[in-house]
Amino acid sequence: MDDSGFLRRIVGSVVRVGWPRTRRTRLSAMLSSLLLHVQPSRVTVRSLRFGTTLGLGLVSFFLFVILTLTGLALMLYYVPHPDAAYRSMRDLEHAVTFGMLMRNAHRWAAHGMVVTVFLHLCRVFFTGAYKAPREFNWVVGVSLLLLTLALSFTGYLLPWDQLAFWAITVGTAIVAYVPFVGDDIRFLLLGGHDIGGAALLRFYVLHCLILPLAMVGLVALHFWRVRKDGGLAAPGHGRNRRVPAWPHLLFRELVLFMVVVAIINGAALLFDAPLEGPADPTRTPNPARAPWYFLGLQELVHYGALLGGVVVPSLLVLALMLLPYVDHQPAGIGVWFARERRFANSVFAVVVLAVVYFTVVGTFFRGPNWAWVWPWVR
Amino acid sequence: MSNWVTRRRTLLAVAAGSIVAAGAGLAAALGRFFIPDVLYESDRRFSVGRTDQFPKGTGTLLAERRLFVFHAEDGFYVVSAVCTHLGCNVVHEEKKGFACPCHGSLFGEDGVVVRGPAPSPLPRFAVTLSRQGELVVDSRRRVGVDYRLRV
Repeated sequence: MDDSGFLRRIVGSVVRVGWPRTRRTRLSAMLSSLLLHVQPSRVTVRSLRFGTTLGLGLVSFFLFVILTLTGLALMLYYVPHPDAAYRSMRDLEHAVTFGMLMRNAHRWAAHGMVVTVFLHLCRVFFTGAYKAPREFNWVVGVSLLLLTLALSFTGYLLPWDQLAFWAITVGTAIVAYVPFVGDDIRFLLLGGHDIGGAALLRFYVLHCLILPLAMVGLVALHFWRVRKDGGLAAPGHGRNRRVPAWPHLLFRELVLFMVVVAIINGAALLFDAPLEGPADPTRTPNPARAPWYFLGLQELVHYGALLGGVVVPSLLVLALMLLPYVDHQPAGIGVWFARERRFANSVFAVVVLAVVYFTVVGTFFRGPNWAWVWPWVR
Repeated sequence: MSNWVTRRRTLLAVAAGSIVAAGAGLAAALGRFFIPDVLYESDRRFSVGRTDQFPKGTGTLLAERRLFVFHAEDGFYVVSAVCTHLGCNVVHEEKKGFACPCHGSLFGEDGVVVRGPAPSPLPRFAVTLSRQGELVVDSRRRVGVDYRLRV
């Protein structure tokens, strides 16, 4: 029997086109693969430049892939019950080979994803890339940001330590400030009045199944719309030379993925995810903090609960969702900090700075009793 | 106008309307599924012990229950230890009132907000005497500042 012919039949049945060497086979390689055909077969040289997008959307996606893989691994050891949750965290730290590494990678990738999704939103704004025909994809993107925050928040409770318990106490107390239905939403979220077994199970199912599935669906829609809306936003003028995505785009993506994996791995090796004492409802740490990305919110809540906890964030999300339908002038699309968009960019920059300011103050400048503390004094 | 309201459009609207109504009804019914009927948490009405465990003129923190039992000259009353701001446990300081360690809210001896971000006073719960002579707190029943259980 001819061995090489046998092997070629098997490989040929999986990959229809051989290793692509010509321009024509490179294009068909992209089109004939389920994974690759999500991407265009040819891309503009401009969109390949790192400075065009800073790769933030891709990095967010790569982090989500890492989170899915490490999360699935962690699920094999984690038990979502108040009696066992904290013990399984200790097991991951001390009794599972590479358990700590896996948990660290999951933690840092999660924090990283909150950051990169937010930065991605900023990039899209400052390049005017939410304008027609991409309005709806911007709305999908804002939903993905909210989903990212929800995923991170539900994951925060799972370690069932003091940090988790009181962060979720504070976080769900903010939810209760919603007028009329706040207490009911909190009850529904916790599956009871207290943060107990029912709440842990609900957060677990949300974190491991419901929200990730929603994420996968919305990410698919997001990617699909990028293609359908004409690829990356670009100014109408100038030359847009196209090159085959194989290898130009794929190689860059591979490099970026390796860099992200390396950074997360490095962070996981160098820095351990925090784990405090087991959750104790009778002992409140001073101060009790929400997760860091909600500390800006907690800082606002410190000034006024309803205004800071409900009104301001709701208006912010609403404004983001409606933005592309209000600011619809087709000017400065696909250009960083376009002159025509100086006003819009300035307003957005102020909002971003405010978000960063409140988050930094809540994270570094607040000590016991939420009093002002200089970070170097602490 | 009469051109717009055709038989076809009317039938379509009725059909679409019934699908939406059926869907909404199903969603409302299934939505009820997510609200638990049985709660495996501590009872909202519970005994905190015999009256003689709380000497006259003292306030006792029951950490597990997250409340204070006070035995004043004119009777017993129960104050929640859960800050109304974001749910941290408050600390009682004699003559000063209740202080929340999380965001610096301060409540007077009567539970009313003196300063800080807390939006409302510390709730007070109804307390009754059981036949066995034990104080029974009902944390579902809020009562006013003047409420006292005289024994």
